[in-house]
Amino acid sequence: MSEPEILLKLDQVEKRFPGVIALKSISMDLRAGEVQVLLGENGAGKSTLMKILAGEYRASAGTITVRGKEVSTLTPELAGELGIGLVHQELSLVPALSVTENIFLNRLPCDPLRRIDWRKAHDMARRALDALGVSIDPTVEVRRLEVAEQQLVEIARVLERGPRILLLDEPTSALSDGERLRLFDVIRRLKSRGVGMIYISHHLAEIPMIADRVTVLRDGVVVETLPAEKADEDTVVRMMVGRALDEQFPKQAAAIGALALAVENLASGVSLKDISFTLRRGEILGIYGLMGAGQSELAPALFGLQPIKAGGIAVDGKAVHFSYSSDAIAAGLGLISRDRRQSLVPMQPVGPNLSLSWLSRRRLLAPLDLKREREESGRYVRELRVRPSSLTHQLMFFSGGNQQKVILARWMSSGAHVLIFDEPTRGIDVGAKAEVFALMSRLVNEGAAILMISSELNELIGMADRVLVLHGGRVSAELDRDQLSQENLLRHAS
Amino acid sequence: MSETSSEPTVTKTSYEATTVAQSGRAHLRHLLFQAGPLLALILLMAYLSFATSNFLTVDNLSNIARQSAFVAIVAVGQTFVILTGGIDLSVAAIAALSASITAVLLTQPLVLFGLDFGLLPPELAVAIGLLVGLIAGAFNGWVIATFKIPDFIATLGTMTIFRGAALLVTNGLPVPSFDAQRQLPDTLIWVGGGTLFGFPVSALLALLCGLIAWYVLRYTVLGRSIYAVGGNREAARVSGISIERTKIMTYAISGLLAAIAGIVLVGRLNSANALMAEGEELRSIASVVIGGTNLFGGEGGVLGSIVGAAIIGVLGNGLNLLDVSPFWQRIAQGFVIVVVVIFDQWRRRSMTRI
Repeated sequence: MSEPEILLKLDQVEKRFPGVIALKSISMDLRAGEVQVLLGENGAGKSTLMKILAGEYRASAGTITVRGKEVSTLTPELAGELGIGLVHQELSLVPALSVTENIFLNRLPCDPLRRIDWRKAHDMARRALDALGVSIDPTVEVRRLEVAEQQLVEIARVLERGPRILLLDEPTSALSDGERLRLFDVIRRLKSRGVGMIYISHHLAEIPMIADRVTVLRDGVVVETLPAEKADEDTVVRMMVGRALDEQFPKQAAAIGALALAVENLASGVSLKDISFTLRRGEILGIYGLMGAGQSELAPALFGLQPIKAGGIAVDGKAVHFSYSSDAIAAGLGLISRDRRQSLVPMQPVGPNLSLSWLSRRRLLAPLDLKREREESGRYVRELRVRPSSLTHQLMFFSGGNQQKVILARWMSSGAHVLIFDEPTRGIDVGAKAEVFALMSRLVNEGAAILMISSELNELIGMADRVLVLHGGRVSAELDRDQLSQENLLRHAS
Repeated sequence: MSETSSEPTVTKTSYEATTVAQSGRAHLRHLLFQAGPLLALILLMAYLSFATSNFLTVDNLSNIARQSAFVAIVAVGQTFVILTGGIDLSVAAIAALSASITAVLLTQPLVLFGLDFGLLPPELAVAIGLLVGLIAGAFNGWVIATFKIPDFIATLGTMTIFRGAALLVTNGLPVPSFDAQRQLPDTLIWVGGGTLFGFPVSALLALLCGLIAWYVLRYTVLGRSIYAVGGNREAARVSGISIERTKIMTYAISGLLAAIAGIVLVGRLNSANALMAEGEELRSIASVVIGGTNLFGGEGGVLGSIVGAAIIGVLGNGLNLLDVSPFWQRIAQGFVIVVVVIFDQWRRRSMTRI
């Protein structure tokens, strides 16, 4: 067998941002026809590296060689010409334009009079989507699509340019299992055509399915590149985290205490029809449901962010009605919302983000408690091992997992004792996940009650004392810890 | 904006060490950027001191200070609004309305629904003028928060409403009118044009407004709420901050400061009319942006806005002294605004990851 062509070679690539070194001395290469899985915790530098290769960021130092030619400054245009395509982690589609327009943005087929040939364009778009094995109407506006469909459009858009080097930044985070398998088929097809791919994922189980080689990043450096068959879960997790991950789910039995939250016949929004449950101190109650079963509207309804149509809520045995989130906060609730970006003020450092919920219900001209803010943010940054451990950097410079810790610290500092975790591990890495779980265990041990809304089966099985399965806006089953299994949960959910 | 900047907590791992070493330089840059507008003002003044013989005189500088005081006070209120991500186009109209009402009440007897209240005490006349500004501003905030309409459109509409109201109050005539029963009080003339310990009173008042606003923004719940609402509305909402209350309060403050500025202007001009201060809302917005506040909210501060107002004032005065024609002056001032915003965008890009 002849040596495959080296498509891409990085030599000591470095990237600095004001105050933060994102990448230091990255050296790696990518061969034709290989899938190289790039692993690393949040903040390890994976996305930064992808953006450098796509020409969106400029490297501070080092050389990049694309198919034997050294490129000094990579711009998005040049990257496109060199055949580098990036599927973004955050979707980069234009919501108000149609699927077709998004796929062929800038390159829509025209007739001789330079008018857009819509029939041809839609046909081309349909074929591009067919190749991914999905049927999406190309004339529909992108904002009307589900997140998973949008992700597939994004992938189709990049593939349509026929890249030789394809960069995939967590392409499967929003996909269902079936869609994921179809994407893997496409990846294998591209492989046989000699396309080289760098694939970022947090799903370690995907490694044996598609990877040829695995490269692990940590703190902006390459820990190691190893062949896929040697990259078993334990090995790569140890490399990513820099220590052995003794326990992914540090579940401890906590003493079950007084009734904290009781919900009766709750209906809200479009999907939540009739839900009742109780939650006690020291308990983690899991909520599971397939897309649209009502779990996505549960947290907003409980937290006073969305009006309740019917039913009642009681906290600590007292009936309550929350018109605003401030009412919920005053009653001792805390919300870790499903989209981190909805909870943070990105241009402010840890302190103001931590103390944000303290402002609730206070007189407008009351003075801030800056001393307490300083002390508590310092303490939580130490205790929760927030990285970078800085009180001056704006939160936008923090990785997802560390931002999540700051939000958690917010509710810990405000003394909330009923915590709603809405998809607490979405988009955060293995190490940070374990830390979040450890915190959950600690919180229930200290007498908090936790409602854990999650679509990750293994996390529910690992952490929950009981799980409520939702279907069609109603409770279809309540499973105790010893009844929890993937099959059981899925069976009641569908 | 970083009251927490004094003591970063450091644990000693190699990763942290590099981060913090870097952060020293980042801080210097940050400081430089923050001081940018002030630096520009100093350079501009230094240049004019050398280029013209009569720029650096007590008379001229007092004159600039007096002329800039109006925009500076309005810009302080505008800063609150812009920090929440809003914009207040009605400030000049509120200033004119409050000024008109105050001037009318100071010079003519109040007749309401056929009842003759006679001449009001001057203090009461001024208080009513300020109250009108506060209520007009709160009305802006209430409309925006309750009906969820864009700030720009809402205040564009109320701008016309307030101007119309001012025309009604004055009958479209300058105040004091020919049949005035009382002249404007000397104290008001002193506030608008007089000096205290050699400093123009109006400029001192602008500084006082700025200092109080700075304190409110930095050390109170309201200030923090304003930065949170402007920085990320949804995060503020989830954290229990009332966006409605914050919005109404910021617009009320903006209205109150516009009223103060309007009444000061009456003192300086010794007259009020319904169309006074036309176009000043745009100058106040320009001052805020030149002063480094992010037009999309969440970042910036009130001291920058005062510096911004001073830059605009010094520039206009300097161009006069340099004998530049008024037509060219407009062009130059416009360019300054555009260049400053370009610089500001570049600065922001270099600070963030994008």
